[in-house]
Amino acid sequence: MITSTNNSPLIKVSQLSKSFGTKQVLENVDFEIVKGEPVALVGPNGAGKTTLFSLICGYIQPSAGQISILGHQVGSAATFGKLAALPQDAQLDPRFSIAHQLNFYGQLQGFNKKKSQFEAERTLELVGLKEVLNEKPDSLSHGMRKRVTIAQALIGTPEIVMLDEATAGLDPIHARQIRQLVASLSAETTFILSSHDLSELERLCQQVLFLEQGVLRQHQNVSNDGLSQSQPTFITLRMAHTIPQFEQSLLAIEQVASVTQTQDKEYLLKINPSSALTLAFNTELLPIDIQILQLCHDNKWIYRQLINGKTLENQLFN
Amino acid sequence: MSKPSYIQQSLFRMWALAKFELIRLFLTKRGMLAILAFITTWFLILYYPVNSAVTIVASDGFKGMAEDTFGILGLSALLQWQVAEFTIYWLIALYSFPIFALGASSDQTCADRTRGTLRFISLRATRNEIIFGRFIGQVLIIAILILLTLLATTTMAWLRESALGVPALLKASDLFVQLIIVVLPFIALTSFFNSFLRSAKLTSVVTLLFFGLGALFISLISYNLSIAHYLNYIFPGVQLSDIVGQDKLTLVHYSIPLIQTGCYLALASIFMKRSAL
Repeated sequence: MITSTNNSPLIKVSQLSKSFGTKQVLENVDFEIVKGEPVALVGPNGAGKTTLFSLICGYIQPSAGQISILGHQVGSAATFGKLAALPQDAQLDPRFSIAHQLNFYGQLQGFNKKKSQFEAERTLELVGLKEVLNEKPDSLSHGMRKRVTIAQALIGTPEIVMLDEATAGLDPIHARQIRQLVASLSAETTFILSSHDLSELERLCQQVLFLEQGVLRQHQNVSNDGLSQSQPTFITLRMAHTIPQFEQSLLAIEQVASVTQTQDKEYLLKINPSSALTLAFNTELLPIDIQILQLCHDNKWIYRQLINGKTLENQLFN
Repeated sequence: MSKPSYIQQSLFRMWALAKFELIRLFLTKRGMLAILAFITTWFLILYYPVNSAVTIVASDGFKGMAEDTFGILGLSALLQWQVAEFTIYWLIALYSFPIFALGASSDQTCADRTRGTLRFISLRATRNEIIFGRFIGQVLIIAILILLTLLATTTMAWLRESALGVPALLKASDLFVQLIIVVLPFIALTSFFNSFLRSAKLTSVVTLLFFGLGALFISLISYNLSIAHYLNYIFPGVQLSDIVGQDKLTLVHYSIPLIQTGCYLALASIFMKRSAL
């Protein structure tokens, strides 16, 4: 469990269970989220991600267990304006202009008319849609509507923003824009992102909540397996082409303990933990990543990506 | 400036929700069409039944017949009203506004719940604030519409006889309060149905079944168990037949709809808290 001793948790979930009839969707889930980098909520379909999301937002009631948001009960007025969300498939009212609805949400958060209007314009500008201020939601494309609903979640700069499949249905340019937005706002807002796009989460998130069949399997730092250490224990190598006997070539490097092909043209290298000691005695020995790159260079093998550590996908599924 | 108290903030949120309902009716295309239909209907009511009936009731030739008819129906007290327009207005408004209120308030939270908009709102207002804010909004809408019809009737009376202006205004304010009290439980009933149903159409159907089958069911039970007739007090409008004649009115006639309103709003609050958004 990742907690910070000097930070009180933004979200604390204790022994949380949820059943729909006889079907148990979540079972004794426990975790804490503290202020900081975005948190990824991942898991296969039916794992309970949206249920957990809905419970934290107070859309549904738990069967057992407790949730505390900033030290308050879910749905408490004390959390208004501090917890915001983009629920999956939720839509704005088609009868009112976007400006009107965002102003209304701002006013519900306690802002006066002027400040609400400012927030509506500011948040729409953040998602690159200031020009649709006076449009009605029905006149926008699916992707634009989604970005507008992301804008509503940013009104008043809340402390926690939960985004359920925020980039699903967006074109690559706008998906990238949303990722950049999340990254740029992470200093003041803690984002909790649910997505099936692991590479997207890997780029943004430092913490991962992995749900499987309603059980929290892992709650960990993405960087656990590599980046936090001066000498990596794992390296992921993605090649441009399939190379015969590639594993053997890699194993010829002294510090490489094992090589596993995780996907087509993707290899996970386990680095011998004693390599740091070897490096200390043999000052001419190049660092492991340089040696791998040298191997590729010497053999004219084209690599696509060298990742310090395991990919999120490999952390979760291998 | 000091931070507003919790109650002030809560009232502010409820007012924001109520205001949104007013805007939904008065500033959207669909709302404007509904108002246009309402105005047309009431223009026809005032121009034909009310206007014609006033002539009949006021004429000496028909006065005796009107007294006999109203006497049989227990409505004699209405003929004593100085402003005859309000006699007919009252008979029509007393039964039409509750039905209109049921229709107009059938979608307080249903569409927002189905669309997911309620999920955005529930992170900014408590479920009770949503229920009460929307209820207040609907009450304000009906109140404005009642007021418009009362003003139109007052104008008619005043145009017929200028001396009737002041008595008409006094009667209008009395009827306004009475009509508001009458419609309150009807709006609260739809607030309750909206707390768990997901469409306005379904709310209308359930309301129809509630009044139709509910009354039939209670009649059947009452046949064997006389005390069961008290169950009729669950129906908004149960006191209408007692107050239509405006004779021997007591506090009970006002307290019944107010208690019903409180009960239905309490039920709406309980159901809303438990329902999934």
